[in-house]
Amino acid sequence: MRAMRPRFDAGDKVRVLDLGKPGHVRTPFYVRHHVGTVLHRAGMFLNPEDLAIGRVCGPVVPLYRVGFAMTELWPDYDGPADDMVAIEIYDHWLAAAEPPPAP
Amino acid sequence: MTRGYHDIGGASAGEIPIVELPWLQWEKQVEAIRNVLGDGTRRMMSLDELRRGFESFGEEKYRSYSFYRRRLEAMLDILIEKGVFTREEYEAAVAEARAQWEPAPECAP
Amino acid sequence: MTHDGHEHDHDHGHDHGHEPHEPLVVEDEAGNIEGQIRVAALQALLVARNLVAPQEVRREIERIEAPGVHLGAKIVARAWTDAAYKARLLDNGKSAAAELGIGVGEAQLIVVENDEATHNLVCCTLCSCYPRSILGQPPAWYISKAYRARVVREPRAVLKEFGLELPVAMRVVVHDSNADMRYLVLPQRPEGTQAMDEAALAELVTRDCMIGVAVLPAA
Repeated sequence: MRAMRPRFDAGDKVRVLDLGKPGHVRTPFYVRHHVGTVLHRAGMFLNPEDLAIGRVCGPVVPLYRVGFAMTELWPDYDGPADDMVAIEIYDHWLAAAEPPPAP
Repeated sequence: MTRGYHDIGGASAGEIPIVELPWLQWEKQVEAIRNVLGDGTRRMMSLDELRRGFESFGEEKYRSYSFYRRRLEAMLDILIEKGVFTREEYEAAVAEARAQWEPAPECAP
Repeated sequence: MTHDGHEHDHDHGHDHGHEPHEPLVVEDEAGNIEGQIRVAALQALLVARNLVAPQEVRREIERIEAPGVHLGAKIVARAWTDAAYKARLLDNGKSAAAELGIGVGEAQLIVVENDEATHNLVCCTLCSCYPRSILGQPPAWYISKAYRARVVREPRAVLKEFGLELPVAMRVVVHDSNADMRYLVLPQRPEGTQAMDEAALAELVTRDCMIGVAVLPAA
């Protein structure tokens, strides 16, 4: 079975892509375009986009748990700044986030 | 690329309906059949295929069907798509099943 | 269509106090009979084609009826009384559950621990993923549109509706079970339970505190 190597690791800043894929995907809209931090690698899994159309033979793709600050997702969030959402994102939906601009 | 009607994280919604409901026999049967079809020996229907079913059968159905009815109708769509049976064969089977569920005739006084 | 544009189509303002209540879709009596007839017809067709045997469906129903809060409670009580077990549980939920004879059918189980600084809360915004192998079926409110939609946006307001008001100093982490992991909250052991043994502790543990919409009161 073919397998991708995980491109990211815990602590990496990542941006969720909006791949515009039709059909069944597991990356919800509310995290798309947003920057989060990889919490940890979560293993290698069959891509749900393949499984949804009956392709059960791979390849497997890396999955990560990514944390997003509530204040990143919702500009009007009025709770504490360290409240967060942790969610699972497959490798192909992620890009390295640009380094923050120099102060 | 439009957002699916099931993809509701962050959407506005009212109060949480904090209620508990019993799990009915037909609902268990829906779940059990899906599990059996998706097991390691059959691999006829993955959970993601089932999800694709109810994510693509239209918002009208999605909003009007209960949770297990959604799963049942999605399973039917996928099995028909796979050619396991036709819609007509299924409706014929429904008619047969319905005959077994006819209400009892009124009791004579 | 852009993400933002679409959001505006469906977001009728941000005034969360005045939104229509999203009804929970439930079948009436006729709907339940219809469901029973339609699933019976499906099974009859699958049996006629030798794809499924009726006894397999019956056995599977027994299997899915078996899990419940008692399994989660057993795991939690063991973690409270055995530090080494707790470490293994937090490291790999699936294998630690297996140590207690609890098979996790879902891909992986991640156990998230509540402490003085962090409160964890579990949801599934896309459908209804839930640690069914351990807790059984999700409650009706867990699969409601209101819970799924709001919990990732205003978790503190949602918790308040469940009667739980968290101090601002405590961080809230919402776990969206959107892919291959399932989550179980390891609640804090209540005050005043030092003298209790594992079996007695397990009696205290509730489903809601393992989802994270409740905490356990002091004994």
